[in-house]
Amino acid sequence: MQTKEWLKAALDDLSRSGVEYADGRHLDRETERITVRNEQVAGLSRKSNSGFGIRVLYKGSWGFAASSRATEADVMRTARHALEVAKASHLTQREAVKLDGSRPQIGSYSSQFAVDPFDVPLDNKLELLFSALKILRQDKRIGVAEGSMNFFRTKKLFVSTEGAEISQSILESGAGIEATAMGDGDVQTRSYPTSHGGDYAARGYEFVQSLSLVENAEPTREAALALLAAEPCPAGTKDLIIDSSQLVLQVHESCGHPTELDRALGTEISYAGGSFLTPDKLGDYRYGSKIVNIYGDATVPDSIGSFGYDDEGVPAQRFPIIQEGMFVGYLTSRETAPVLGLMSSGAMRAESWNHIPLIRMININLEPGDQNLSLEDLVADTQDGILVATNKSWSIDDLRLNFQFGCEIAWEIKNGKRVRVLKNPVYTGITPQFWGSCDAICGRSEWRVWGLPNCGKGEPPQTMHVAHGTAPARFRNIEVGVSK
Amino acid sequence: MIGEQQILELLRRVAGRSPAERTELVFIGGRSGLTRYAKSAIHQNVSEEDTLVYLRVAEGKRLGVVTVNKLEEEELVRAAAQALELAQRQPENPFFEDFPQPSSYQKTETYFGTTAEFTPAARSETMKKIFAQAARMGFEVSGAFSSGEGEVAVVNSNGVAAYQPVSHAEINVVPISSEGMSRSGAFSHDVKSIDFERVAAKALERCALNRNQQELPLGQYDVILEPGCLAEVMMWMGFIAFGSNAFIEGRSFLAGKLGERSMGENITIYDSFLEPEAQGLPFDFQGSPRQKVELIERGINRGVVFDSLSANQAKVQPTGHGLPPGNPYGAIPLNVCLQPGESSLEQMIASCERGLLVSNFHYVNGFLDPKKAVMTGMTRYGTFLVEGGKIKHAVKNLRWTESMLRAFSNVQAISREREVMGDEAVGFAIMPAVYIKDWTFTGVQKE
Repeated sequence: MQTKEWLKAALDDLSRSGVEYADGRHLDRETERITVRNEQVAGLSRKSNSGFGIRVLYKGSWGFAASSRATEADVMRTARHALEVAKASHLTQREAVKLDGSRPQIGSYSSQFAVDPFDVPLDNKLELLFSALKILRQDKRIGVAEGSMNFFRTKKLFVSTEGAEISQSILESGAGIEATAMGDGDVQTRSYPTSHGGDYAARGYEFVQSLSLVENAEPTREAALALLAAEPCPAGTKDLIIDSSQLVLQVHESCGHPTELDRALGTEISYAGGSFLTPDKLGDYRYGSKIVNIYGDATVPDSIGSFGYDDEGVPAQRFPIIQEGMFVGYLTSRETAPVLGLMSSGAMRAESWNHIPLIRMININLEPGDQNLSLEDLVADTQDGILVATNKSWSIDDLRLNFQFGCEIAWEIKNGKRVRVLKNPVYTGITPQFWGSCDAICGRSEWRVWGLPNCGKGEPPQTMHVAHGTAPARFRNIEVGVSK
Repeated sequence: MIGEQQILELLRRVAGRSPAERTELVFIGGRSGLTRYAKSAIHQNVSEEDTLVYLRVAEGKRLGVVTVNKLEEEELVRAAAQALELAQRQPENPFFEDFPQPSSYQKTETYFGTTAEFTPAARSETMKKIFAQAARMGFEVSGAFSSGEGEVAVVNSNGVAAYQPVSHAEINVVPISSEGMSRSGAFSHDVKSIDFERVAAKALERCALNRNQQELPLGQYDVILEPGCLAEVMMWMGFIAFGSNAFIEGRSFLAGKLGERSMGENITIYDSFLEPEAQGLPFDFQGSPRQKVELIERGINRGVVFDSLSANQAKVQPTGHGLPPGNPYGAIPLNVCLQPGESSLEQMIASCERGLLVSNFHYVNGFLDPKKAVMTGMTRYGTFLVEGGKIKHAVKNLRWTESMLRAFSNVQAISREREVMGDEAVGFAIMPAVYIKDWTFTGVQKE
């Protein structure tokens, strides 16, 4: 590959110019996005996007430059511009950046798939989506029926002045449907398998087929209609059972983001915010109850939070973040880990060729409970509670303490039984108190990894594909129904 | 910069060689740099150059879209053929009639060479001065400073040929003390028009006030919301209420209720690319002339924005608010403005017997109950108790949950002065400060 040789030549040139470290990444991404709404194709596009970025560490200061024009001359020019940018950063330096001693890797990684979605005829994809929508629209009160599929093929190359040389190829697929029911001035949406575009995996078209969108269209429609007739979730303090798909957002916002070490060290404070999990708390802070165990794990098979190597060339790892309720680990990078005397946990990821890598979530997984409880076991064990499912709204403060989530649907639980559907459920809490109230987590049979393709962070903004493994869990005495 | 002539000629040649009945090309390209800083030192500094071309073709009423980030003519012609293949496999879109016809566009001033030439070293020198200014008050600062230049062009086989150069400079200054934070910012197409020392001074002065934060009981308070709060709320309103799809599908509070009152008589909200404070693109990403659209006029629901497809569906005229091709969102307002009033921030504080001055919001979400425009969010960068017309002390950040229809029916005063909050080159919001009665607070930031 010519680009690799040009990148290596540019890094050699930078080394001769006195930089202590530089890396180059080339990325080529093919995307197909399909959205159908009611009887029409609302959006359908194919995109191919490629380019390269060069990151330079000069006298302890970073510079980065990227270009979509990848001729030999452009690569050399861009490398020199990255050095200029680093020199500009150096003008304000207070402390020199030092990288950890991660060993440079030579290797490759490919995600596995059975059916390449880019080879599946468009007619088949549209037929599947329209078949599901036809069922969703069988009741006139369904004003909007929507279905979507998204496919990504990403090929990445990484080289560094330390001698790293890594190539990776990752294929991702996702799909979902939703029904929006309307009546009496009310609008209620129910989605499948989850909201915000459905579920995603690092698999081929076989993943979309495995979701059984058509077979699940009828229950999705009926749930949307049931919400129209439902009472609003009453306000009060209740025992709360959160289903697996909503717990994904809870883990994401209240554990994933606050354990990014760059946030904890203050470098994201002016945009997305900081973290209440400051370094002085590491190893000595009760985050949740003793049954709460959360791991970072970039090695989970078939997940969009997995890879072979991060975008600093550090191999994928599995490591504890919360152990028996105690805060024990951060997501780190080669720059931030040494601040705490650690080695990188391999969590530096860039959205594309034109972004620098930042500390991003990988798979942040809530481990299943020891007893093999099912969701129905948990309901049966709850006297006066609310079961909520599927995220609708999300908001959390800039230290990741005070959160409020809205869900698509809730069921009131009385004496171990679901007694009625409730609409517009909202719950709120303070992160460590909330996780401290967790008294039951369902077992492995209820545990599932959900792909989340829209995690935002950084300036310029970057969108990352992450994932979370969760099983339904119960939280005692939670404030619900605060929506006006 | 590639230049108007070269871009339009290339796009016209590709449109002419396209195998489709009709072809539209949208070019978005440029170079930009962004310097991020924390604890009064630069920790990220990036530069990028890219060119995106969207090719939308039509075969009868069938549409296909392909996007590439290459500029070679042969590659673009191949992309047009791929788009045609996609179009041929799709069902007909009954709302498609044709791509827009050629129009004339108003002139707007969106490009300044001095901004385009602003180097990473110039950004660093600016930051050095701000770091020193902060240090004199005992603060460190975090934030970001971006600058860049770009070009937007739309060409179609009907003869549309629109081109606009843009430049942008945006700074966000966040002083931090051991007790609290504050924020001030500026956005302009012309970097020379930004008074960096004044921007920093405003943030530093506010940070000095944000200390000894006390916890307040939850409940309803009068609030004085500064412009940054409203910009975040209006971004959500654009999505859940003022966009074409939300209106057509009945999810917007304006759906079926045009001409009805939803807000107070003192509220007028509109989308305009041509305001005294800022100017934007005079055409949309389909080449239609962008129009000023009254969304709420003196509290009455007046309309939403449309592109050509959604306008046909709603049987109205397009307003020139099309987004880049291939998106499923329809039309969204990119330049939402709230009409100024006669008051000032100082007058609002002086008239407040008991209430809260809120500098910014954080993490607003508008999906709770879109028909009532119920939103939640946190306060950020300084929340202050006002009593007897004076700022008494800082308070801890609060969560609020409120219907914007209710809130904008309770506005007591609006400032004359407005602030421009930008989003790179083409999107911005222009907001005043407002005084609102009985805003509902539902939580507090605490461990």
